[in-house]
Amino acid sequence: MRNIIESRIILNKLLLLGYIAFSEIGSKSVQTSVIVLLLLLYFSINMTIPITKWELGKKSLVILSMVFIGVCFVFVDSFFIILLPINLYEYIVYYIRKKWIVLALTLLPVLFVTESDRLIYVLVSVFSFLVFVMEIQAMQRLENYEVQNDRMRIKIQKLQKQLHDNDEYIKQSKYTFQLEERNRLSQDIHDKIGHSMTSALIQMEAAKSLLVKDREKSNELLQNAINISKDGIEKIRVTLKDIKPATQQMGIQRIRLFLDDFTAKQGLQTSLLHKGDVEMISPLQWKVIYENIRESLTNTMKYANASVVSIEIHVLNRMLKVEVKDNGTGSSNMKKGIGISGMEERIASINGTIIVDGSNGFSVTMLFPLP
Amino acid sequence: MKVLEMKGLTKKFGDFIAVDNVTLTVAEGEIFGFLGPNGAGKSTSIHMISGLLRSTFGQINILGKDIVKHRKFAKMNIGIVPQDLAIYEDLTVYENVKFFAGLYGLRGSRLKEQVAEALEFVGLSDKHNSYPINFSGGMKRRLNIACAIAHRPKLLIMDEPTVGIDPQTRNYILDSIKKLNKMGSTIIYTSHYMEEVEEICTRIAIVDHGKVIVEGTKEQLQAVVTDKKDIWIEVKSNKNIRAQEIEKIKGVESIQIDERVIKIHSDMDINNLNQIIQYFLSNEIEIRSVEEKSSNLENVFLTLTGRNLRD
Repeated sequence: MRNIIESRIILNKLLLLGYIAFSEIGSKSVQTSVIVLLLLLYFSINMTIPITKWELGKKSLVILSMVFIGVCFVFVDSFFIILLPINLYEYIVYYIRKKWIVLALTLLPVLFVTESDRLIYVLVSVFSFLVFVMEIQAMQRLENYEVQNDRMRIKIQKLQKQLHDNDEYIKQSKYTFQLEERNRLSQDIHDKIGHSMTSALIQMEAAKSLLVKDREKSNELLQNAINISKDGIEKIRVTLKDIKPATQQMGIQRIRLFLDDFTAKQGLQTSLLHKGDVEMISPLQWKVIYENIRESLTNTMKYANASVVSIEIHVLNRMLKVEVKDNGTGSSNMKKGIGISGMEERIASINGTIIVDGSNGFSVTMLFPLP
Repeated sequence: MKVLEMKGLTKKFGDFIAVDNVTLTVAEGEIFGFLGPNGAGKSTSIHMISGLLRSTFGQINILGKDIVKHRKFAKMNIGIVPQDLAIYEDLTVYENVKFFAGLYGLRGSRLKEQVAEALEFVGLSDKHNSYPINFSGGMKRRLNIACAIAHRPKLLIMDEPTVGIDPQTRNYILDSIKKLNKMGSTIIYTSHYMEEVEEICTRIAIVDHGKVIVEGTKEQLQAVVTDKKDIWIEVKSNKNIRAQEIEKIKGVESIQIDERVIKIHSDMDINNLNQIIQYFLSNEIEIRSVEEKSSNLENVFLTLTGRNLRD
């Protein structure tokens, strides 16, 4: 951006330079070689301005250029004055922001200019003024952009941090749940089973020591130990059953979680409906259902142009039907891509079939036999 | 014995897959039904079995022999009644049948005998010198059947033979299919009319989008969807009916008592109709009508695909 502005000023100067060269070389008042030398000097001074990075250096170069123009104006030719306005602008712009004052200031030297050059001088200064106004506006725009850019960068950083924190939080809570679960488990084992086992052990040891002396008592103690052990085994069974979640709960839950996530990320509405006895569905079938639902939703995202996807898991008497249907454009003539082939293969591995229909929205229907 | 075997049969037309990896077996003596909506791939399958189309993948065996390697053998053992009539209107009825039978290599007295027999079978003996140009749709269809059966094929394929035909001829055709089957022909029958398929077929494959969704007997297919039936009993009035009493009958799951109709939801496998009726009689409730509503194949298709057989 800054480059464009600078090149605009350089172009402006070059234009004036050309103009002077053209009009001066024609007139015989000054030697051509002197004009060329002066013009080249002016050129070198002014080309150094954009190259210099240092602000004070820039300013002094601008002043030098103005002094140079003054010298030329006084000793060589009054025509050099038309180069003045642009340098003046370059300098004043550092101190005065009000545009009209700037224009007035640059028009001031018109009083010293000879009558014949007056018109040209006014024209040149107005032209240079316009170029500068453009430059100032462009600079302001640039500044605005930069400010905006910074603000956005900060925002992104904040969001990224939030996201990261969230992930961290999820991981933490997962870990916490696991710990809690493990805690509960060890507590259960300790409370329910540990005590039984210990008391059974004591009774058995007592029975062993009484085995010879008092057979009857020993027998009684052993029977006690057997009862306690039986009870313990039953408790283990109950505890384990408590811990292990039912397959159907996991299956449905997993799909539901995925759908929630999908809705949040993709902005597509989803609904999940299940009918019949979902306990009939085996873990392997749940796996295929999950993967194929995911694949179907990806397809919907990519091609369907839909806003709503409904998923129905229907356990029929001897068959399981899973339908993923969207309200998109559908397609009367579909190609079987990798996605659909993949779904087909997974379904085939558990003896099912898949029907893909594009006649009314897009629907994928999976059918597989129940045992 | 396996009359027809399809293994991984697939037919593609460009990107469109008309028949998609179909594996099926038809045993001797069956009336095998292909049920599915228009465009499900029934006719394409039939065309591949009859050798009109080459399959893209897969194999077809007729009586244990590959139809590509044993073309002549396959043709001799198949009779086809195509969806679109294939008869010559400038030949007489007799000449038509004789022509088609001749294509299969029948000659001399055997030819005459079998052509006459085929015409007899479809009830066109008295018309054997007429030209079919003025025949009704039903008569043309019967003639078409005669052309297909004169060479006594082991396997008779009928592709929607009742489309555009009056109900009388339709019944006639369905009866003759049963008769042919009793005489030893194995039959493949395609239709999108589920009533016909339910009536005559011993085994049915429901097809959609080029795939076999389910196959089995009518009862097996119904059981795929549900193992319940509804019995609707229309009565003069619902007085004296106690739901608890009926619910005690074996198999009855629930009961809904409306003003005139008693709807009983019951297990399909248990035959309890007699007991239910007995209850009504012993309580002196006047029965107007009894209707058993088990799910039909239309319903099976609808439940499985979410679409109707006929649009």
